[in-house]
Amino acid sequence: MPGLDDLKPFLVLGLALGGVFAMNGVGLVVLYRATGVLNLAYGAIATTGALISWSLLGGVNQWIAYAACVAFGGAVTLAYGLVFGPPFAARDPLVKATATIGLLLILLGVMLWVWPPSTTRTYILPTRLHYYEIADVRVNWTQILGMIFPVVVTAGTAVFLRVTKVGTAMRALADDREITAMLGVPVRRVEAAAWLGSGIVCGISGVLLGDLVGLDIVGVTFLIIPALAAALIGRLHSLWVTLAAGFVIGIVQSCLTAFTRVHIGARPLADYRTITPFVLAIVALLFFARRRPLVRT
Amino acid sequence: MTTDIHTVAADEVVPAAPVAPAGTARARPLRLAIVAGLIAFLLFGLPPLLDSYWMLVVTGAAIYSMVALGLGLLIGRVGMVSLCQVVLAAVGAWVALRLSYATSLPFPVLVLCAGFVTAAIGTLIGLPALRLSGLYLALITLMAAGAITIVLRAVLFPNGGGGFFGNSAAGGASSRMPRPSLAQTDAAYFRYCVVVAILMFLLAAWHVRRKPGRAWAAIRHSQATAISAGVNTVLYKLWAFALASFMAGVAGGLLAASAGGVSVQQFPVETSVTLLAVVLMGGVYSLWGAVVAAFLLRILPALLDDWGVSTELLTILFGIGVLQVLMTAPGGLADQVPKDLAKLGRRIGRVFSRREAAA
Repeated sequence: MPGLDDLKPFLVLGLALGGVFAMNGVGLVVLYRATGVLNLAYGAIATTGALISWSLLGGVNQWIAYAACVAFGGAVTLAYGLVFGPPFAARDPLVKATATIGLLLILLGVMLWVWPPSTTRTYILPTRLHYYEIADVRVNWTQILGMIFPVVVTAGTAVFLRVTKVGTAMRALADDREITAMLGVPVRRVEAAAWLGSGIVCGISGVLLGDLVGLDIVGVTFLIIPALAAALIGRLHSLWVTLAAGFVIGIVQSCLTAFTRVHIGARPLADYRTITPFVLAIVALLFFARRRPLVRT
Repeated sequence: MTTDIHTVAADEVVPAAPVAPAGTARARPLRLAIVAGLIAFLLFGLPPLLDSYWMLVVTGAAIYSMVALGLGLLIGRVGMVSLCQVVLAAVGAWVALRLSYATSLPFPVLVLCAGFVTAAIGTLIGLPALRLSGLYLALITLMAAGAITIVLRAVLFPNGGGGFFGNSAAGGASSRMPRPSLAQTDAAYFRYCVVVAILMFLLAAWHVRRKPGRAWAAIRHSQATAISAGVNTVLYKLWAFALASFMAGVAGGLLAASAGGVSVQQFPVETSVTLLAVVLMGGVYSLWGAVVAAFLLRILPALLDDWGVSTELLTILFGIGVLQVLMTAPGGLADQVPKDLAKLGRRIGRVFSRREAAA
């Protein structure tokens, strides 16, 4: 068993990665609550944005390049919401989620076509170069951002939903779209705001992921899975539980990397670390399903 | 179990469809003739025309038609979406290989065992989400797909090594199961797979037309009504999931013995997502949809590769296809193409009759 000192660097990595999972999870939950759409293309949008940044980095100012990623996230998500939101509005959440798989495949195809995976692509955010030594562990600013951003995003969203007019409208939408529309709330505009907001969060996570885990197209696209697990643990409703779940998934997964001497069969436990989100989500679901159903209809 | 009523509305991925395929008495002999002709062509006409590469492609298509069939049944008949169907095929391949190295059971028994074990695993995956909405089932299966892929990448397929996992580095990257004695050549093995696929389609058709099919239709339209009508919704949903997993498992067992064998890289998570896309595009209300899906998934990429067109375009096309099917064409290609052909035929007929009238 590794000691606490061996775990420390992984703890930092896990906090940063978990933060991105948490942020994506919160982005998913906000959109789901407002529009009923679980955006499975979230990871694909973030990856495409990060690749666009990577392509721009050679030519333009780096801040513009990273801003392009955020803008791309917002623009694509908003465009999808405007075009495909209304036709699917009255359909089952399952259909809405399946439709986003269409967007996922389109983006995946474009990425593999434009940026063939034969070359490895990485970029280093300027924030990675500045770091602190905390208890003998080097913590860089990208990681700090990865930890702080999600908390800021969650707190901001929670306050936004509670105090602003648009936030109130979003909560009303989450309850009943028809009645909200009847009360004179501009439903489509509020939905567009939700799409745009979640898209921008997605773009920011894309910038961070490019630095934290690299730009493996399929790998990062399917980082949606841990974010989904966090959102599931938050019952697709609670922002704070989703936030916490994201961090826990990231930390557990990262710390398992240190378990190279504990074996399951012929393989070290570390090889199985990416199963963490699935196991935690299953446990949570079993716990939820124990007494009462999750979903009202 | 009264709470169950509230759990789910009918999770219709695509709007309502006929419970049983509407076949008029006059159309039936024609349809049977088409099916018989197609089967005869696949068994006897096609194999001599193809070289070993294309033989591998069409064998893959025959096998994947079963994987698609299972998913099509789940979506079209019960209204449940699974995103781990391809990964379950990998599980089937693993089980078949493991048993084949450990025992001397005959090939069909191995494949059947692979089917049953996979059905059990698939049911276990579906179990926690069963009382929740269909969306949760889809998510759980997506995560299960990710998890099983990771386990497979860690343990690898058995290749004659020792221990429970039976993999040794000396055995090479891909594993291959010995074929049955009556299907040693590639052509014979293709015929073998086609016959198994036909059996699976018959199994599916039997399910759709009999009691399970009616129960599934009731569940799809309204779970509450199904319960009040005395349908055991838990049993029939699990049954559907087990049946789909069984088909994936059998397909996996067959894959393990196809030319080149299987390696863990063959079953990435995105294939399960792509499979969902092609199954929706093929059409989930007709068993033909599975045939179209297998064509889109296995044969079309090989054709495009042959013509020097990037297969990534196909991924984009599948994405567009999913959106289009969900919005405007719920029946998929299997439903749309005959309709469009009939419309085209009528239009051509009208042009000719107009010409005759003018003359």
